[in-house]
Amino acid sequence: MVLDRDKLGELYGKVGMGNQTMLGIMGRNRDISVGEIFVIYSQRDGTERVFFFRVLGLENYLRHVDDIGGVAGTLMVEGDAYLSGIERNMLLSVNGKMLGYAQQTNGKWTFMSPRRLPDHLASVYRPMPGISDEQIRTMLATQTDGHIYIGDLQVGEDTLDVPVLIPSEFLPMHVGIFGSTGSGKSNLMMVLIKSIIDSNMGLTGVSDDKRLTLSAFCIDPHDEFAKGVDKYGIQSIVETMDDKTRKEVVGDFYYLTTHKKATPREVKRYAREIRVQWNEIQPRDLYSIMEFTPQMSSFIDTQYSQHREDWIENILDMTDDPAGTPSGTLNAVKRRLGLLERSPIFEKRCSSILDDIFHAMESGRILVVNTSLMSDMEQFLLTTIVTRTLSDMRRALKSSGTLGDFERQGYMRLPSQFFSRVKTQAKSFYGIGGITDDLPVRDPRNLPVILVTVEEAPSILNPELMRGQSVFKDISRQGRKFNIGLLVVSQQVSVLDNVILSQMNTEINLRLGNEREIRACIENASVNISGFENEFRVMSRGECIVTASYRELPLSVRIPLFDSVFEKDMNDYKGKKTGSTKKHEL
Amino acid sequence: MLERILTTKFRDTLKLLFADITNQQDRMDEEKFSEDEVRIKERLLDTIDLYPPDVLLDDDFLVAAIDGSGTDNFMMLDDIRVHLLSTATVVLDSKSRDGCFFEPLSTITIMQQLGSQPHLDAHWHSGVRNDARNKLAETLENIYPLKDVVDIVMPFFRDHTDGIVSSKSDFTGTIYEEYVPELTDMETLITRAQMLTNPVVHDELRKVSEYAAARNVLTSDLRPKYLLLDGALSVFMHFARKYPSMPSGFMLRDLAELARREGVILCAVSKNHTIPFAHRIAKTAQDLFGEDAKWFCHLPCEDDPGGGLHIIEDRTYIPPELAVPYLFSFSQENRPSRIDFDRIWWLENVFVPNDPIATRQNEKALFRDLEFMSRDARWYGYPVALALAHESCKLSYEDLRLARDISKDVRRELGLVDRKIEPMRVDYNL
Repeated sequence: MVLDRDKLGELYGKVGMGNQTMLGIMGRNRDISVGEIFVIYSQRDGTERVFFFRVLGLENYLRHVDDIGGVAGTLMVEGDAYLSGIERNMLLSVNGKMLGYAQQTNGKWTFMSPRRLPDHLASVYRPMPGISDEQIRTMLATQTDGHIYIGDLQVGEDTLDVPVLIPSEFLPMHVGIFGSTGSGKSNLMMVLIKSIIDSNMGLTGVSDDKRLTLSAFCIDPHDEFAKGVDKYGIQSIVETMDDKTRKEVVGDFYYLTTHKKATPREVKRYAREIRVQWNEIQPRDLYSIMEFTPQMSSFIDTQYSQHREDWIENILDMTDDPAGTPSGTLNAVKRRLGLLERSPIFEKRCSSILDDIFHAMESGRILVVNTSLMSDMEQFLLTTIVTRTLSDMRRALKSSGTLGDFERQGYMRLPSQFFSRVKTQAKSFYGIGGITDDLPVRDPRNLPVILVTVEEAPSILNPELMRGQSVFKDISRQGRKFNIGLLVVSQQVSVLDNVILSQMNTEINLRLGNEREIRACIENASVNISGFENEFRVMSRGECIVTASYRELPLSVRIPLFDSVFEKDMNDYKGKKTGSTKKHEL
Repeated sequence: MLERILTTKFRDTLKLLFADITNQQDRMDEEKFSEDEVRIKERLLDTIDLYPPDVLLDDDFLVAAIDGSGTDNFMMLDDIRVHLLSTATVVLDSKSRDGCFFEPLSTITIMQQLGSQPHLDAHWHSGVRNDARNKLAETLENIYPLKDVVDIVMPFFRDHTDGIVSSKSDFTGTIYEEYVPELTDMETLITRAQMLTNPVVHDELRKVSEYAAARNVLTSDLRPKYLLLDGALSVFMHFARKYPSMPSGFMLRDLAELARREGVILCAVSKNHTIPFAHRIAKTAQDLFGEDAKWFCHLPCEDDPGGGLHIIEDRTYIPPELAVPYLFSFSQENRPSRIDFDRIWWLENVFVPNDPIATRQNEKALFRDLEFMSRDARWYGYPVALALAHESCKLSYEDLRLARDISKDVRRELGLVDRKIEPMRVDYNL
């Protein structure tokens, strides 16, 4: 089939020098920017291919002018000098990186890593919004398709109607969001939450869709997701939904806060107060967020083995170092546990929110967690407890053949009081055909994908804490077995532990603060984006480069403002429409 | 060799040489120049009245320019020499109203009127007796658009005899009568047959290629105001026969006559010229008009008022037959260049008998246009059309290498003996 080249965009130039990784293009004197994507039509040995090329550098080139300095000098000195017919000789020498190529096999487009070279003097096209969208969308389907919408493919400063999505099956392999302050992380999080809601909406009542429902535990450190930054927020989605949709997709609540009374009235209806009992905290939750000496850990582990879930209460009641414990250990541990005594959300006895969180996460729900009134440590501990609880529940399930096994495993792995409260509900989620003990259990990989946000990630995902018994080390390595993924949000990449970086399969790289972070970002990307330094330097708010181990092509994406995507889709929440089949429009 | 060049002995040799030149030639020229100096200062030199940079011309005009390039050593096949010739025509529009001065006409217009540009041609001849002449004549006939040899030669005689010999029948009773049979055939127009060395053949081919391109411009619908050639409007005369010794001389006069008929100003510009004392004339102009002045200087011949200049009286090729040369400088950075006009056109359009002021005004108007078309920043001071023509036609070393590679391919395609075609010295890395 011969490709309609007019649909590739505007004919821009010709391929000059280069190899299969870097290319030089001689093109028209147009307003090209670093980061633009060009497509190169090539036919070699009768095989049609469309190569994708990303602009990394630009240079003015005047054809037939060897001494540009001399010409500029003459124009300056001789006030009456002109340049005859120079327009057609004013060219741009564009150099950049070959991203790969699309090739049609049996009527289907596939995308390959750069391992071939375009033909001699192949024609280069500049994709144009309104002309090239459909063709590019088709050719890049394997690189852009998925379930969670991030934004639209950016070609320079323009955006094509080519939505870029993340496949839900790759979410348990962890996602990183890296960007400096003001790079658009909060807006991206809101867009992601909306996309998850949209994806889940598309699944309710549909039995033949093999997609998984998605859950997300979203830390909101500035309390801006619910009400939004400007006009709309997640609350707007919830309020726009009809009752049935809201019940199916959001449930009774989506907003968790430390102080429910201080919550705006309209949000309060969907709010729950964050409270966690001391007996739901395990030693490794604390090991994951703060440093303990070996003596302190040994002491805590002893107390935990003796008193199980009452270990915190017992330690806090102790007055002297027990025999065999180095002097001062108790006081040091008590100082660290003082956080729990002072905190309004960690209580000795209370009605715990963990049950509701477990229920919501196993039901494919979104939870927006307002941590604006929490200390950093409280936020980290909450995230850790939730992550560990959810993962231990799934781990218990994974280790079981029947619901009876699951119950035994649950009591072994989880705080007994918590497990007693949730076990019946858990059995209803995990059992096949009922909740009796002899029934087989479901594979965790068929359960909702749970995404847990780790905000200010360097504080808990740093090499020092990850060396110990960090909950996150296990999740980063084994989360995919249990369909639990981390959504790591950070302003810095360089300080994150290598284990977490190497396990991350999707990176959404927003504007970064400095050269060190840019270098770290490039080094840790799942696909080779070496040479993209310039692009990081010129990136604007809301622009990102998406790299993923399951894709060959690094994608430049413009993340739309939450308000604009909400306004566009708001009618869909009134009468339920499936997210996957809905036509995307810019 | 370098060790020889760096010796004092070599410096001494040079000293002797320059002293000799100074003693013999310069002193003699200096004397002659001093005889011309006052006349040059007062009557022949003048400044150019410049168009302002944002001028809007009442009548924008077209300028055409032609340049050629090539090699007489494209390929050697035993004693067969293959020449390669390239010729380019460029036509620019002054376009003062659009503000994009001297913009080239579109490729489509040029294609429709003049064919694709630049134009490539090949020629060959062997060392067999008379082959160079036969083949040259054959190629010239092919190249030049006017095919009737009598039509080609008559313009020269009309101009040269002031109209006395205006048709073939007018040769009767003149000094040319005995040569009439030879004036009807391209081959016999080549009267320097015994001097047809390879460079001479190439030079003739190149000139005629350029003249052919110029003729195509003149017969097209383009009607440029100026038609610029690269070089001089020189016609080399046969000493005894008193007519051009090579066909190109006749063709040049054919062009000149046609240009007059079509109202096109034909001129030839040469950067490389041998006008003696050009540097002194330039210095005089600078002293007179200031360092950054743009100026021109008429180099009169014996027939002009005041007669010829002393500095060129023994240099018979200046002014050329039927041409009027000027020196000009449009840029203080460059040495003065030379421009030649058709003398017949000049007498009709520039020179006003007994009125030097009117003549000067005409000259100034002419040079005003020429200067205006020489302001391109890439080649400031040189007519941009000629510069572009040069850029378009030039054959670089790389072009030639590629052309030779293609020649090898073509020979293989034709099943011809595969052999080396580069100059033989290449075999020894020389």
